[in-house]
Amino acid sequence: MINLNSIIIQVLGGAGASLLIFFSTLVISLPLGLLMAFPRMSKIKPINYIFGFVISLLRGTPLMLQLIVWYYGPYYIFGATLGLSWRVPAIIIGFSINYAAYFAEIFRSGIQSIPVGQYEAASVLGYSRTQTFFKIVFPQMLKRVIPPVTNEIITLVKDTSLAFVITYSEMFTVAKQIAAAKTTIVPLFVAGSFYYIFNYLVAFVMEKVEKAFNYYK
Amino acid sequence: MKIFEIKNCKKCFNGIKVLDDVSFSVEEGEVVAIIGSSGSGKTTLLRICTFLEYMDNGEMTYLSDKIVSSVNDKAVYIGQNTLSLDALNKNKELTRIKSYFGLVFQNFNLFPHWTVLKNVMDAAVSVQKRDKDEVKEKAMFYLKKMGLENKSASYPCELSGGQQQRVAIARALCLEPKIIFFDEPTSALDPELTSEILKVIKELAKEKRTMVIVTHEMNFARDVADRVVFVDNGVVVEEGDAYELITNPQKERTKRFLQKYNE
Ligand SMILES: Nc1ncnc2c1ncn2[C@@H]1O[C@H](COP(=O)(O)OP(=O)(O)OP(=O)(O)O)[C@@H](O)[C@H]1O
Ligand SMILES: [Mg+2]
Repeated sequence: MINLNSIIIQVLGGAGASLLIFFSTLVISLPLGLLMAFPRMSKIKPINYIFGFVISLLRGTPLMLQLIVWYYGPYYIFGATLGLSWRVPAIIIGFSINYAAYFAEIFRSGIQSIPVGQYEAASVLGYSRTQTFFKIVFPQMLKRVIPPVTNEIITLVKDTSLAFVITYSEMFTVAKQIAAAKTTIVPLFVAGSFYYIFNYLVAFVMEKVEKAFNYYK
Repeated sequence: MKIFEIKNCKKCFNGIKVLDDVSFSVEEGEVVAIIGSSGSGKTTLLRICTFLEYMDNGEMTYLSDKIVSSVNDKAVYIGQNTLSLDALNKNKELTRIKSYFGLVFQNFNLFPHWTVLKNVMDAAVSVQKRDKDEVKEKAMFYLKKMGLENKSASYPCELSGGQQQRVAIARALCLEPKIIFFDEPTSALDPELTSEILKVIKELAKEKRTMVIVTHEMNFARDVADRVVFVDNGVVVEEGDAYELITNPQKERTKRFLQKYNE
């Protein structure tokens, strides 16, 4: 008889690794996405195209493949032997840059959805371009991007399981190993429940954030 | 004293002439109404006056500051060497001049994420770097004048169109401009709300504020403005004393235009 408690404890042992991917990615990719949104909107054509291409590449190829490239790439391209210590950085870099591409597109469309009248009013009132962005455009953009950003965060929770391709023991990998060893699918359901619970929390927090922005329309 | 002058202003959009040759000036304390049919270039003209658009050729002066000169049949703006919106946007020389004027938009363009009070105060504090307490007092003074002293903590979305436009007027006033431009300040409003805005502008005229108002309200132009400028097809067709021009226009085109309002 398999002991449910011990399965839960073992699966949870992998949750720390999943949370590490999740939070590191979030903390890096959100600001990075904002930084990438600007060259993406640049009036200088080559910069605009280069970033447009990089972003479409990041969004148009599987994250799984990108993780493999980040992890094994340094060896195949430069012959660098980084070993296992490179695994966690490779995962965090791979996830962060991939998600930054998605966030960049969300921020770009958020910024571009601010009515031109806001810029014109700001210009006439004498605000500098920097002031206009930080005081007027950015706060309004935040409100508009919350729903799509929430979607991405929920996807990220589930995507953390992709780290298995470079044999990182995050929660789903751990669950699969137990499932194989004990020939039962219970660990997979346990892992599934944890993803669900976590996303429930994410949705709950984001709803609070959205409400906090409801003071104006 | 002349507050503002624009001379021989020309503007094309994609090769289509919108302003062909427009000149007018505004004396201190004067109210000038700009009238003309739809598409005649009135908004474009105000946008050029307020640096939201550049002119192709012509001259523009605020007080003793000559902002635009005409060199070899081309407009030359101080502090920039190309004629483009981007150059206009980045032009630091123009920033100081912007404190001379205010602009009230047709659709208000308030900042929705700020309270009424912050909308009115913020530019004075963060652009003009004036003392916050002094500005707050000023802002409350103007809000009171606009009949909105109890709305200072509201957000624009909680106000009627007429109230929003009054906030926009208070916002312009709080920067203490030498001249305020209005672009059809009532055309986004219902008739009842229109009259409340016109009343407010009439008050400002009584205080001898210098204003330029693009309007389709001919009675208002006749009664409140000192001078009327009639623009048609990108040129000033007729210009003169407001009452005279509206009740007794000289030019055929002016007569035809005004006739439409009397029908
Ligand atoms: N950015 C632009 N690009 C191209 N054409 C423009 C632009 N802005 C204005 N126009 C054109 O210039 C002409 C004058 O427009 P403008 O808005 O100045 O007229 P208006 O006198 O304010 O009209 P209304 O009374 O309807 O407000 C119109 O034919 C308009 O289509
Ligand atoms: Mg107009």
